[in-house]
Amino acid sequence: MKKNKESKILDIIMIIFSIIWLIPVLWMIDTAIKPTHEIFTTPPKWIPEKFTLQHIKDAITNWPFSTWLLNSIIVSGVSTIFSLFLSILAAYSFSRIEWKGRDTVFIILLASMLIPWQINAVPLYFLMNNLNLLNKLIAVILPITAMPISVFLLRQFFIGLPSELEDAARIDGCNRLNILFRIIVPISGPALAALAIYMFIFSWNEYFWSLIALQRINKYTLPIGLNMLQGAYDIEYGLLMAAAFLASIPVMIVFALLRKQIIKGMSWSGVTK
Amino acid sequence: MIIWGVFTLWPVISGFIISLHNWDPLRGSEFIGFDNYKYLFTSDRFWNAFGNTFEFALIMIPMTLILALLFAFYLYFSKGKARAFVESALFFPYLLNVSIVSLIWKWLFDPDFGLVTESLKVIGITNPPQFLNNPFWVIPAIALASSWWLMGYRMTIFRAALESQPVEIVEAATIDGANTRQIMFKILFPLIRPQFLFATVLTVISGFDVLGQVMIMTEGGPGRSSEVLALFLYREAFSYFRMGRAAAIGFILFVIIFIFTLIALKFMGKDVQQ
Repeated sequence: MKKNKESKILDIIMIIFSIIWLIPVLWMIDTAIKPTHEIFTTPPKWIPEKFTLQHIKDAITNWPFSTWLLNSIIVSGVSTIFSLFLSILAAYSFSRIEWKGRDTVFIILLASMLIPWQINAVPLYFLMNNLNLLNKLIAVILPITAMPISVFLLRQFFIGLPSELEDAARIDGCNRLNILFRIIVPISGPALAALAIYMFIFSWNEYFWSLIALQRINKYTLPIGLNMLQGAYDIEYGLLMAAAFLASIPVMIVFALLRKQIIKGMSWSGVTK
Repeated sequence: MIIWGVFTLWPVISGFIISLHNWDPLRGSEFIGFDNYKYLFTSDRFWNAFGNTFEFALIMIPMTLILALLFAFYLYFSKGKARAFVESALFFPYLLNVSIVSLIWKWLFDPDFGLVTESLKVIGITNPPQFLNNPFWVIPAIALASSWWLMGYRMTIFRAALESQPVEIVEAATIDGANTRQIMFKILFPLIRPQFLFATVLTVISGFDVLGQVMIMTEGGPGRSSEVLALFLYREAFSYFRMGRAAAIGFILFVIIFIFTLIALKFMGKDVQQ
């Protein structure tokens, strides 16, 4: 009985804490819908006397939000699909096919996971410049696609699959590609979905490399667009918060709909080891 | 494999090669050996950025991981209805991108009208520091915002790792009279060491790589008191077009991250490697 009471108290503490944790997000929304003179008051007021959509309207009409949103969707969508396809092939090769030097190559691949964007930025910039890809969305998509983490995660998953299925299929005369796409991929559905969510969120939030590779306003993704907005309006927090709010609406909707899958997908990436 | 090689491996090698050159957009490049490194190691600006990066990483990494671990334990033990709400609320910030997070926190820390500053006044601190304009507070403030952003993902990793352990272990320990704290740190924590290592490596990378938050919240200021290595690199490369020197900073960052990962592996990874 005492235990129960204790855990109830802990629950209440945690709920209060969670609400505090969300205050920055609530404050952003609150600021976005308050008229300017009510934003800059001391002490701050949570409930405005008047609601206004003016900041949101300003943000949409003055800035190409829909283009940025579309760019973000293209970058994230295409990188996710590319990287899923490539990592299925690579992970299968690393887990199920014996070839000379396989494990050495895999270790190098693992080590390269530690290499952050910052180090690659300068050389990648030259590379993309030479390939004439700067300011094209593909310049952001390609490096994200090549991120080794998805190969790594998927390989760990493939290793765990029973090999009997595959042996049976081979006896029936299936070749490797057939086995991979007819047998392995269908039974890996949940893992692939989790990986897709992981990759999508990663590319949706990618900032550093996009900032360098995309220098034209109509090629910006949402994070880069917002970054520029903040340079343009120093302390007009009503407008800035409206823009931040607009940029987070898609995430909020998706999270509301797919909360369980997203959390499961994200946590999966840590458990496969 | 080829795509991976071209976009991941080649840049590191060529990055090192570029760092040995004096690269100039007008005159082309010239081989200068380790002069870029020599310059950096004698430059105050480099050591300032180096120190700021370490300060940020040493605050942000433990704060993020410890919070994530404690919350994960709460979620693991709690059976109540609060669970789903708490997990969603704590995880949600991770889905926002770095620009949104930084803008929100810049506004929260606003010296005149910011919610943090004003709240501190309400609870009796009459003269709260102007966090982002104060050389002492600026890095901790950015670290706090970063932890708020990154914690949720680590938490779900730990929570899932805990739940994948057999329940019998906890039951047996309870019967043997272990209290909750002992179960948490003596029994469960060692079991999820591989995931803890994974999260540590991820967080080490985000800690030493930090750029977006600093760029948006302070642009390295006040003065250069929050200029981190990644920002220094970005400026050298894309404001001054000294690509060779920037590549050298990048290579140094890589070495730092590599060393910290090795340390993490040494302390936690004995039984992790496969």
